[in-house]
Amino acid sequence: MTEAAIRVEGVSYAYGDIEAVKDLSFEVAPGEILGFLGPNGAGKSTTIKILTGQLTPQSGTAQVLGVDVTADDPVMQAQIGVCFEEKNLYESMSGKENLRFFASLFGMKDVDTEELLRRVGLADRGKDRVGGYSKGMRQRLMMARTLVNSPKALFLDEPTDGLDPVSSQTIRKLIKEEADRGAAILLTTHDMWEADELSDRVAFINDGELYTIDTPENLKLKHGKRSVKVRVREEDGVREDTVSLDDAGVGERIKDAVTSPGLMTIHTEEASLEAIFIQMTGRGLDE
Amino acid sequence: MSRPVSHSSIVRSILAKDLKEYGRDKLWAFLTVFVLAILIGMFWVLPDSVDESITVGVSPGFEILVDQAADTLGVDVDAGQLDEVVAQFEQEEGLAIVSVESAADLEALVAGEATAFVEGSQTVVVPKGSGVQPPEDAEQIGFDIGIAFPDDFLATTASGERATVQVFVDAAVPEEIRVAMAGVIGEFAHAVAGDALPVATPDPEEVFVVLGEDRVGNQITPRESFRPLLAFMVLLMEGFVMSGLVAKEIQQRTVTALLVTPATTGDVLAAKGITGALAGLAQAVILLAATGSLSVEPALILTLMLLGAVLVSGVSMIAGSAGKDFIGTLFYGMLFLIPLMIPAFAAIFPGSASPWVKVLPSYPMAQGLVNVVTYGDGWSETLPSIGALAAWCAGLFVVGWVILKRKVETL
Repeated sequence: MTEAAIRVEGVSYAYGDIEAVKDLSFEVAPGEILGFLGPNGAGKSTTIKILTGQLTPQSGTAQVLGVDVTADDPVMQAQIGVCFEEKNLYESMSGKENLRFFASLFGMKDVDTEELLRRVGLADRGKDRVGGYSKGMRQRLMMARTLVNSPKALFLDEPTDGLDPVSSQTIRKLIKEEADRGAAILLTTHDMWEADELSDRVAFINDGELYTIDTPENLKLKHGKRSVKVRVREEDGVREDTVSLDDAGVGERIKDAVTSPGLMTIHTEEASLEAIFIQMTGRGLDE
Repeated sequence: MSRPVSHSSIVRSILAKDLKEYGRDKLWAFLTVFVLAILIGMFWVLPDSVDESITVGVSPGFEILVDQAADTLGVDVDAGQLDEVVAQFEQEEGLAIVSVESAADLEALVAGEATAFVEGSQTVVVPKGSGVQPPEDAEQIGFDIGIAFPDDFLATTASGERATVQVFVDAAVPEEIRVAMAGVIGEFAHAVAGDALPVATPDPEEVFVVLGEDRVGNQITPRESFRPLLAFMVLLMEGFVMSGLVAKEIQQRTVTALLVTPATTGDVLAAKGITGALAGLAQAVILLAATGSLSVEPALILTLMLLGAVLVSGVSMIAGSAGKDFIGTLFYGMLFLIPLMIPAFAAIFPGSASPWVKVLPSYPMAQGLVNVVTYGDGWSETLPSIGALAAWCAGLFVVGWVILKRKVETL
């Protein structure tokens, strides 16, 4: 069995009287993307801060790449990459200078900044100062900075939040490439569609508590209806049928619908991750 | 387990980045050059000498007094001999005596209602607002005290009778000078009357034991006394730049990006401290060189300035960490940095430093600088100041480390 790259056991943290995370436990394997799904203030960013050594857990243990996060181990820190929600770049420096500076903190002198900038679609803007970048360009540069040390564990905090479709697509592609390379990825988001598309597993977190953790497919199967909804145009209007997948003769009924000349739409009735989240926590992801 | 990258390498990287950012900030670059130029200019504008004499106006003037006395008493007086007596009197009493024609003129001059110009042996009095042009090449003089003798003063005192003398003093002349002046007039009257003084006056050299270098005739000039203050103002200017850099790092949250790499809080603080100290020291050296302050013990002065620059950087980092925005940073910068100027102000007025001023972290630097530049102290005398400064720097680094770490945790 592959050893987990990120392991969290019973971790809790409170800001004064406010409990940000409560008794959190989960693991992320190398090459796996774990989508951390929850609304604003659910405890996603606090979890990342704990795992990257910015906060010390008040109870429980957390390990990244086999090292306790409280150990402040530079070897572990040299092998992680963090993409923050805030665009914390040096604005008076160019994109290339930002990358070179962060590479130097990892002791890397020959980092290929051109290649990193090309991967995020900024090859022709590398010499421009970051102060002149758009929000999407900054986020893409943040992503390039996260990858500057070819990390084994990646912590991505809302990496596509508020971005245009092109920038979002570029970042999603990079995330998949990094997982294929073997990096363990903890991705926080409140975008259900993104979590569904990228994540091998998703974890639902709300008010600091972990409600469930499973593959998107399993969650949808567990919480959705095993049926297909068919809409067919007929002479006297539109007919809508719901075909249960557990009914006898389901194959024939679907075949009839598909071959019908008036077929308009055919959809499975599996639940969306957002619907499941609301069902489990009683709270929407955009709240 | 060995580090993948050394602390020194990380500090060098952050330092290079900070210097790059610092150089690209046009506002700070302008202010740095502007303030430096202003301070150097200020130094050279300040007076480089101290006038130790008190200018005393007398009316109707010694020559007239003597002439009238000669007429009254029927004796001949040698004018050259009179000049010698007056010159000797001026030297002994530390006075500059200027003759003015009338008591009314004298009163107007001391009251500031008229201006006096000396041209040769002539004193020309020009009432203010009269529109009268002063003579060309005439030297303007101001009066601290005016003594109006009655015309028959010499004859009256010589005959042993009492004469009344009027003394005009500016409101700013302290009480002790007024009393001393009355004593001088009394002594003068006794001398004219040929009487011995009722008390024996001791030789000043036997009475006064001067501790340290006797600076009579060689007073500390305003230029010299302002030197530590100007040097400190350069450091403070850099302190504000430094706190701005730290605040920017916190407000833009780039510090969190640094601290999830192998860089530690100590590395960040060390880099910022070195950036601030280098920038401050470089400018202080320019200022000291431009003001001719590195001619005595340059290594010792540079050591003091380096520690001072580190001290100000340390305080600036705390100020930069404490502020939530630009105004907050400015507020904390003023709150923490301005009090550091107090010891430098105290150096302008020797002997005025209260015990609480001596507790301020910048006191050893300001006092050390004054003692080296002005009083010629060497390494052995300055070591206690250097030790105290170094201790303050270390303490402030620890405080800065704690504050920055706590600040990052709340971002």
